Amino acid sequence: MEVLYSTLLLAILGFGFGTFLAYSAQKFKVEEDPRVKMIVNVLPGINCGACGFAGCEAYAKAIVKGQAEINRCLPGRPQGVEEKIKKILEEYKNDAS
Amino acid sequence: MKIFLLFFSAIFVNNFVLARFLGICPFLGVSKRLETATGMGIAVTFVMTVSAAISWFLDKLLISTGLEFLRTIVFILVIASFVQFVELFLKKTSPDLYEALGIFLPLITTNCAILGMVLLNSLMKLSFVEAIFHALGSGLGFALALVIFAGIREKLDLYDLPESFKGTAIALITAGLLSLAFMGFQGMVKL
Repeated sequence: MEVLYSTLLLAILGFGFGTFLAYSAQKFKVEEDPRVKMIVNVLPGINCGACGFAGCEAYAKAIVKGQAEINRCLPGRPQGVEEKIKKILEEYKNDAS
Repeated sequence: MKIFLLFFSAIFVNNFVLARFLGICPFLGVSKRLETATGMGIAVTFVMTVSAAISWFLDKLLISTGLEFLRTIVFILVIASFVQFVELFLKKTSPDLYEALGIFLPLITTNCAILGMVLLNSLMKLSFVEAIFHALGSGLGFALALVIFAGIREKLDLYDLPESFKGTAIALITAGLLSLAFMGFQGMVKL
């Protein structure tokens, strides 16, 4: 009986807090530059740090801000990441934030 | 009367950082600059107060169902959820502070000062109002220790220290001396 009660209690609590957090995540959503997400999708996503940033997302943010060149991704070179990033930046230049 | 005793003893006499030695990690990590120290103090105070309120009810529930052994895990669940909430809130309202706190914000989750405070509440069998004031006092005591320490550390940066003492070494020595100073309050409040 104790096992059942503890399982039930923790399940209910977890579900309750999860719902609360999901709701607040929706409520406090931070508007991001859509280009960041696109560049992150293009990058290999292995967070190797060869570009000199903490991870792929940090690198993408720096590119969008114009603080980094687009040719820094070494592992993505064979797949032509540089050209893809260039394309994204050219395509969405007019709605620069 | 007991409320005031609890409140002030949590700030000065049983200061969580300097007398009970809980929450040392953020105490050393976030005290390099006064701004981050203040922000961290406020965040911890908020999480402490809310966690104390919610876990008081959960504690009563656990006692009534005879599941006291779940205390720790349930309290950690409450604390972790609220830290996550604070993180979302800060990201939205003050990105600068969010960036400055960095990894130490999620680390509030595993800040033993908060879990210790909540467990102490249930050990001391405090009533709801007492628990809230105890939590508020503990949070403010943590913030006070952090702010004092950050002020000292900012001044220390300007001094001509021996090379081997720079950085964390002198910070640890300073923390010890600060703790000694707070030992002067010992025994003033009997709870």
